[in-house]
Amino acid sequence: MVINITQIKNKSSLYRQRQKVGLLFSLPALVLVAAFLGLPIYQAMYYSMTKWDGIVAEWLGPSTYLNEFKNPIFWRVIENNALLLMAVPIAILLPMGIAYMLNDKVVGWKFFRTVYFLPTAISWVVIGMVSLRFFAQEGLLNDLLKSFGLGFIRTDLLSSERGALVAVGVTFIWSMVGTNSIIFLTGMATLDISLYEAARMDGASSFRIFRSITLPQLKRFIQFSFIITVISAFTALFSLIFVMTGGGPGFGTTTLEFFVYQSAFSRGNFGTGAMLGVILFVIMAFLGSAQLLLVRNKD
Amino acid sequence: MKLKRGLTFVIMSLLAVVMLYPFVFMINTSFKSKEQFLGAAGHSIASWQKILTVMPVGRQLLNSTIVCVGAITIILAVSSLAGFALAKLTFRFSPVFFLGIVGAMLIPLQSIIIPAYINASHWHLLTGYWGAIFLYAALGTPFATFLMTSYFRGLPDDLIEASIVDGLSYPSVFRRIALPLAIPALVTIVVLQFIQIWDDLLVGLLFLQDPNYRTITVGLGALAAGRTTDIPVLMAGSLISAIPAIVVYLIFQKQLISGLTAGIGK
Repeated sequence: MVINITQIKNKSSLYRQRQKVGLLFSLPALVLVAAFLGLPIYQAMYYSMTKWDGIVAEWLGPSTYLNEFKNPIFWRVIENNALLLMAVPIAILLPMGIAYMLNDKVVGWKFFRTVYFLPTAISWVVIGMVSLRFFAQEGLLNDLLKSFGLGFIRTDLLSSERGALVAVGVTFIWSMVGTNSIIFLTGMATLDISLYEAARMDGASSFRIFRSITLPQLKRFIQFSFIITVISAFTALFSLIFVMTGGGPGFGTTTLEFFVYQSAFSRGNFGTGAMLGVILFVIMAFLGSAQLLLVRNKD
Repeated sequence: MKLKRGLTFVIMSLLAVVMLYPFVFMINTSFKSKEQFLGAAGHSIASWQKILTVMPVGRQLLNSTIVCVGAITIILAVSSLAGFALAKLTFRFSPVFFLGIVGAMLIPLQSIIIPAYINASHWHLLTGYWGAIFLYAALGTPFATFLMTSYFRGLPDDLIEASIVDGLSYPSVFRRIALPLAIPALVTIVVLQFIQIWDDLLVGLLFLQDPNYRTITVGLGALAAGRTTDIPVLMAGSLISAIPAIVVYLIFQKQLISGLTAGIGK
């Protein structure tokens, strides 16, 4: 009896200790996130409905959103984002092919893996600067065309609105190669080899094997790389655009994230900037929850 | 079969050229003077000498290091504590806390940057390193906490219960048993965050306004946006800023990969 009571006592004191220590240990992380991410996103929602110069805010209400949706420049920016999304399939399929080749483990594959993955470590500022030189009038792209006898093409992508967006898209694909190749290489390492042997015994073609065995097993890796790539297209290109085009020519390469910065810090419309940020947040939160749901359904 | 492998090797080599071209271009261009870049023959170290005069390179490298060390220290401290609590000490609010911290991963930097910037100026955090350090720390904490929570969940409960029976308190179990076992996860966080913070432009641009506090990436971004037409100098600067991140990448490739693929789920 006595032992039992002390056990219960110990248990309940342990329970209390867990409550106390648990709360105490997780509080710093929560406070940090709340102060620097939670509070600002809440403020952004409030200020998105005001006219705000960073000091004085005048309440306007939800009409700010309706007005913005009538603004042709806003739709131009959204169109740029939509066009950039066209790079996403290439930024996924190309690395999938690369991972497939790496997985063959030919001579030097570890070296190739290191090389392909290298852009992951490089800042967009540096990537943007080199890319700027690549696409410039006197840049490597034109040199290459000339050396293939196509000198008459002489590109000047960066001087036209659509051309500059193509240049940004190509650079984006180049820098996503590493991350996505690694994701697919990780995926291919998890493939069930016995299925392949069975399929080959049954005389299935390589294409058939890829479509019916490899692809289904890679499904969650494809989903993951899709989400990562889309999120990057929406939120990782600020520095690249800042260095490469400054959003121009015109609004040719102004994406939503760049528009946030421009509205607030170049034009002083902090309220509009906050609103654009909220719109970006809604799009990203939707995509992110989709990924979380997909992962959860797998468990 | 042999033919196919040979073909694969050739394609991969060509791809390697495409991926390495920017680095070759940077190195080659940086060893030219402005005139040599525009067509004159030969190489020189003129641009490397010039970058040291147009940009306080040493100071900026130091600033980058200070900001990285500060932010990463905070991230490691708060995320390992929170990860242990959320994984092993089921307390009353743990699901809410987990959602509150990890869910913040969904908030893009651009969505909060304006209010965060105004707040930081009210809290007098824009004059030194602290504004940038805190924001980087807050941005890194959600994913780091996610990583630490999953890592600590993998530790057997028996291990912790046995230590408690032996008379250790939860804080000492964390310090003496859980934390030493979590070193691989901590290293992954350090590597991921180092590259992210070292390479970042936007936060530094706004939160480190005093040129004396600028990081190397911000210094480089400012130099490029200033429409400097001296390409070789910009390339020398690019190399200086890229080398530390490349070195970290080459040493800790494995940890970086495990961090990047940690979100895929089982």
